[in-house]
Amino acid sequence: MKLAIDETRCKGCNLCTKVCPYKIFREGKKPNRRGIVVPELDRPERCANCRLQKLYGRRLCGICELTCPDQAIHWVEEEPYEPHKVAIEY
Amino acid sequence: MTFEDWFRKDRLPHIFCAGCGNGTIINCTLAAVDQMDWKKEETVFVSGIGCSSRAPGYIMTDSLHTTHGRALAFATGVKMANRKLNVVVFTGDGDLAAIGGNHFIHACRRNIDMTVVCMNNQIYGMTGGQGSPTTPRGYLSTTTPYGSAEPAFDLCDLAIAAGANYVARWTSYHVKELEKAVLAGLQTPGLSFIEAMTQCPTNFGRRNKFRQVADQVEFLKKHSLLKVKRDRLLLENKEVPADMFVVGELVRRSRPAMGVSP
Amino acid sequence: MTRTEFWQGNTACAEGALAAGCNFFGGYPITPSTEVAEHMALRLPKKNGVFIQMEDELASMAAIIGASWTGARAMTATSGPGFSLMMENIGFAAMTETPCVIVNVQRGGPSTGQPTMGAQGDMMQCRFGSHGDYSVIALCPASVQEMFELTAKAFNLADRYRVPVFLMADEIVGHMREKITVPDSVERVARRELIRGTLPFAAGDDLVPGFATFGKGYGVHVTGLTHDERGYPCTTNVKIHHNLVKRLVDKVENARRDVADFDIINPDAGDVFIAYGAPVRTVQQVLHDNPGRKIGFLRIRTVWPFPDFALGQFKNARRFLVPEMNFGQIAREIERHVRVPVVSIPKLGGDLHLPGELMAALEARL
Repeated sequence: MKLAIDETRCKGCNLCTKVCPYKIFREGKKPNRRGIVVPELDRPERCANCRLQKLYGRRLCGICELTCPDQAIHWVEEEPYEPHKVAIEY
Repeated sequence: MTFEDWFRKDRLPHIFCAGCGNGTIINCTLAAVDQMDWKKEETVFVSGIGCSSRAPGYIMTDSLHTTHGRALAFATGVKMANRKLNVVVFTGDGDLAAIGGNHFIHACRRNIDMTVVCMNNQIYGMTGGQGSPTTPRGYLSTTTPYGSAEPAFDLCDLAIAAGANYVARWTSYHVKELEKAVLAGLQTPGLSFIEAMTQCPTNFGRRNKFRQVADQVEFLKKHSLLKVKRDRLLLENKEVPADMFVVGELVRRSRPAMGVSP
Repeated sequence: MTRTEFWQGNTACAEGALAAGCNFFGGYPITPSTEVAEHMALRLPKKNGVFIQMEDELASMAAIIGASWTGARAMTATSGPGFSLMMENIGFAAMTETPCVIVNVQRGGPSTGQPTMGAQGDMMQCRFGSHGDYSVIALCPASVQEMFELTAKAFNLADRYRVPVFLMADEIVGHMREKITVPDSVERVARRELIRGTLPFAAGDDLVPGFATFGKGYGVHVTGLTHDERGYPCTTNVKIHHNLVKRLVDKVENARRDVADFDIINPDAGDVFIAYGAPVRTVQQVLHDNPGRKIGFLRIRTVWPFPDFALGQFKNARRFLVPEMNFGQIAREIERHVRVPVVSIPKLGGDLHLPGELMAALEARL
């Protein structure tokens, strides 16, 4: 699983940058074709849901998805699925 | 199925401004609805007029977008005529507290089996930022340019006094708690009222020194006082801060309800 | 088999609704229509229907629209001030094409006026009361028998054309007690369901779209905003708004001849009375008292859409006399359609015209 921001829906409010416990979302720098500064992903493989959803068989955390007022954040299947080595700083 | 599947994807993105909390509250409500295992054809979303009330238009079920303030009266008709339908009402503070105040207290009194989610952004957003009955004293809006002089409504107190079976308040910051509160509301027979305090960056935040969307969310987070904490303060005879609002499950009871599916 | 009863007009109205399959009533007490609600409260629960007394007329109208979308045959009854309150949601019903029946037992206005006296002052309000352009159907009973029959008919017309249908009675007919023949069953025209896979607000030749009942999986979005054929809001498109409102008006106006219900007596007469509602009774008395005289009479049961084509049948008409319990609301509508003088005979205050008053108008020189 990996995180994805749907650029066609994102309105650039940056709420995701506030709520993610891992601070995966960062304010973007360049406006896209629609003039919206879409947040960037900072090492998205750290996302707990990306790593552990398969293992637990349910949605974990998911705060960013629930918070995103524009339904722009979701997870997509990776093909082929590769487990990532993750270093988490506390 | 996830809550994403309840959206009319062909209609997204929605009309809400960037950073508007309404989208968050729709997510939380739909996430709760999704956990109820309701069929789409047996679920009806009803709303009145205002920003919040545009929500049902983005949800893939039968939906009724009605006149200003009357959502609860329409929902009463829907629920009483067909008890098998699960009715969820989206409403806003102006819709519910001002023009629809009478319908609100009577829906609570009848305790009709439905769930009411109020997106309280403390302003009339769609008409351009006029003061509403929930605009706190001293805050600026286009019709209160010197600061609101009127005391604000506490919608949850109103619902409790009028007799709703389940009353809770959370904010658009507390997404998980809000989702759980809506779920509890959906499971409770009788009228469940969930007030979701939300940010309106365009019309409220802009005029009240919240420069960024996150500033207002931060404000909501800082000024929400957990019910248990409030109760503890009261127990210890300490003063409850006047500028804070209580969040949490405020009432859960089982008064006789109307329209409960047989 | 039929049976004979001695009923009040309001009771007959409620019974007519029940005979037509009404299974939802939302109302608020108001003189002189309260008996309709009282009788429904008594009878509906026994027939597995729902009676609910709402907090005001705004809510009553809202509740019946909500109920109608679940497939119920829904009705409310009100009078004067309550009717004014309903206007907001009557516009909503017109915009969303919701079938519903509104009984208005008219009383003297404006404002609180005369709660216990009859009038016909709401005839224009029922046609044009809510903002914006739309069209409705209004029926006017003149007897207890017609209170029963026209109420039942109102449900069929509402379902057929998907419009709010008004039963514009008045205090006189509502509170009158008369002999009534109650049929065992009345004709029921079912609402046409939406064909699956088609758009919920796309209409065919008759301009009436199929009805997407809630709870059947159509996933319809119903909004009072200007909407496209899918039902989605589309508020700034000039063409869509024009076409939608034109269809809302045309679907009723085109059905003028199908809906029309009127009687013509002495079509070759020179002096012609036109009446609807309670004043019909005085005209009938005048005709009865003067059997030798040729007096034309057009009695109208469907006032809206106005059956203007019926006026053309009075080829020799020199003038039309219109007794009404208002200051000439329908007389003005008739004036639009004829070239000969239209004499309005208004009478306010709650009393019916006396035959002598109509005779005096008949004798008066042009």
